[in-house]
Amino acid sequence: MSGILKKLFSTLLQKPWEKEQMAIDTSHTGKTFNISEQKSAVIIIFGIATVLFSLIFTAYIYSIPPGQDTMYLLKPNLLWLNTTILFFVSYFFYKITKDLERKETSKIKKNLIIVGGLSYLFLFGQIIFWMQLMKSGNFVTTNTYFSSFYVFTTLHGLHLLGGLFFWGKVSSRVLKIEHSKILDQEKSITALSWYWTFLLIVWLAFFLMIYIFNDAFIEWCKSIIA
Amino acid sequence: MSEDYNDNKTIHAQSSETMGGGSAGVTPDMDYVRPAEIADQDLYHGHSFITKWIFCQDAKVIGVQYFLLATFTGVVGLILSWLMRLQLGFPGAAGFVTAEHYYQFVTMHGMIMVVYFLTALFLGGFGNYLIPLMVGARDMVFPYLNMVSFWSFFVAVAVLMASFFVPGGPTGAGWTLYPPQTILEGTPGSGAGILLMCLSLILFVAGFTMGGLNYLITVLQARTRGMTLMRMPLTVWGIFTATVLAMLAFPALLVGALMMSLDKVLGTSFFMPTILKAGEVLEYGGGSPILFQHLFWFFGHPEVYIVALPAFGIISDLISVHARKNIFGYRMMVWAIVGIGALSFFVWAHHMYVSGMNPWFGFFFATTTLIIAVPTAMKVYNWILTLWRGNIRMNTVMLWCLGFIVTFVNGGITGIFLGNVSVDVPLSDTYFVVAHFHMVMGIAPLMVIMGAVYHWFPLVAGRFLSEKLGKWHFWLTFLGAYSIYFPMHYLGFIGVPRRYYEMYDSPYVTSAVGMNEFISLAAFLVGAAQFILIYNIIKTLKTGKPAGKNPWKANSLEWLTPTVPPEHGNWGDRLPVVHRWPYDFSVPGAKDDYITQTTPPSEVSNTGVEKT
Repeated sequence: MSGILKKLFSTLLQKPWEKEQMAIDTSHTGKTFNISEQKSAVIIIFGIATVLFSLIFTAYIYSIPPGQDTMYLLKPNLLWLNTTILFFVSYFFYKITKDLERKETSKIKKNLIIVGGLSYLFLFGQIIFWMQLMKSGNFVTTNTYFSSFYVFTTLHGLHLLGGLFFWGKVSSRVLKIEHSKILDQEKSITALSWYWTFLLIVWLAFFLMIYIFNDAFIEWCKSIIA
Repeated sequence: MSEDYNDNKTIHAQSSETMGGGSAGVTPDMDYVRPAEIADQDLYHGHSFITKWIFCQDAKVIGVQYFLLATFTGVVGLILSWLMRLQLGFPGAAGFVTAEHYYQFVTMHGMIMVVYFLTALFLGGFGNYLIPLMVGARDMVFPYLNMVSFWSFFVAVAVLMASFFVPGGPTGAGWTLYPPQTILEGTPGSGAGILLMCLSLILFVAGFTMGGLNYLITVLQARTRGMTLMRMPLTVWGIFTATVLAMLAFPALLVGALMMSLDKVLGTSFFMPTILKAGEVLEYGGGSPILFQHLFWFFGHPEVYIVALPAFGIISDLISVHARKNIFGYRMMVWAIVGIGALSFFVWAHHMYVSGMNPWFGFFFATTTLIIAVPTAMKVYNWILTLWRGNIRMNTVMLWCLGFIVTFVNGGITGIFLGNVSVDVPLSDTYFVVAHFHMVMGIAPLMVIMGAVYHWFPLVAGRFLSEKLGKWHFWLTFLGAYSIYFPMHYLGFIGVPRRYYEMYDSPYVTSAVGMNEFISLAAFLVGAAQFILIYNIIKTLKTGKPAGKNPWKANSLEWLTPTVPPEHGNWGDRLPVVHRWPYDFSVPGAKDDYITQTTPPSEVSNTGVEKT
């Protein structure tokens, strides 16, 4: 990161009108970063999605209802089962990217199918979790604690569905080609892998926030301000 | 496609600027150009009318589509402003403008002009048309996504316009859409109107994200050989930085619109406190209206710069070309654009001084607001110093540029007043604020748009717009706009409140009556003057003077395409190679007063080095 910032600042200090700089600049290839367009797109999407989810987190912290047991959502086993599934998706993506690095393509097709299957299983598990919550009388309108949870999981799920759309496109390409040609799809597969890892981080960050911002912590914050 | 590119599929970017890449040294051959290392782009060329002109993937066509649709929304916004001014200047003259309608017009006028007109026009219109051309690319990197972006915008506009025709009409909550009143009965359009507004905004943001992704990656990763970041025209810098801002600010609008829709439809209480209405407690409770204000202005203030930064970039290029001088302080201009962009995320709560925030927050946001004036002032000085001793061509484009500087300085200075809490609080709900923001982000950007239209029309259509009509257009707009907004500052000082349907019979504001009539007449005139441009465009397309290649003798790449107007793919067989920055005007020792970006050093070996 510091390297990028250093390069960025040195770029902004260039004097393009001077002859020495002109000679250097004319050799420029036209790319700023040495990564593919797909990966560039995923990094930018990370930036936008980070802002989006941060705002949801802020809205949650801003309006935690007084007296609400903030640990409530962290208790059901199904939530942690779903989280484990999401972990496994990232694990299989990790295996895929490692295989791509080693140019070992024999298991990539199988692992890509597992990734998609587990992702759909995660979404299914989330719907079941919603139904359990509603059965216990906790609806989206109950209070802002539950409203935030439903909104967050919906947006997270929509992001996952968006990812699954591109997973479908990439997988259909990969499944049709010979093993030896799978390496040509490296950029797209790696971009997908990054994206799933990002979704796992966002998921964990939300529940970490719920865990941290409990009544005791809020009281402690208030005592500091006071 | 160029052979160079077909033969080189591997990407090994190495340059002085490529992050993670190596450094290329000074070569002994002054015209040396590194062989192409980036594969040329495969483009989808439309074959039918529908794929060429409607569902088109050419960024230039998409730019024109954005421009036309944004202009349409702008005309709707203009007509709404006429109706508002009719009521304010001559109360009751148009019987159908009831209080409810008035608030609906105010709301729709504000949202249309800020989001659907200015943002769409600068980023969608100019961004699409100019970015690939100015950086030497064949198209945006994801053309299909770019097309989807425009059609999302189209659907967003359709949904917004549909709200005029639903029961209850469009929302009348003010363009800031503050809850809780926005979604409660009693506010015009609190039913389907506000829902359609939220849906339209969500669609707009989704569509813009697809377009913005294209602008950023095209600028960062798809420039032609020799085009370093610091050789890009300031227009590209402005649009690029504004896009970064939009990508980070629009999610706040999205979250706000989404949560408000849920409050309305599902009965959640994100922004709804406990409310007692007609003796009954509503089902809402526990939410915070102030949270919405934070979300809205976290989007809303960067939005000002999302409009302003492209305008800053464009005006810099127009002034440089038409004053035949290099832009004064190019690096400083780039730093100012980047600096203003970064600072714009730390000033949002100056719109909320009257919301009851902690005074220390007011102090913080007042300070940041005043700090942001520093890089902005640097830019103004640099525009003036670019003009200083320039070979100024006093044509229509230059008139718009000068008009911009004057109106922007005027609106900017009143912004510095309002940045101070103690000044803002008494003026906050008066016409002083209306005058300020219309001057700085209404009229000033409009001046840039008009200057840009007169400047780039010969590129888009191959013909010059009429100078005579252009000057009429300018003077009527410039003087008319001043006639509207200068007196409005005075109205604010004497305490005339904004957002009022009619001025009650107050002994304190009697002098406002005649002034309101005058302002309204000026508003009718300025609005009508804009149709001169439409007439000029139609006339020019039929009988305008052919412009030929590079009619303004500019240096930047968009003027250097093999055909004018440029075809799909922009550059024929070979992509251009850039040898210099775009501001080599009036270089000592040069034969002409301009040296294009593609001119190799050997062709101008006797020239000196410009100072900036």
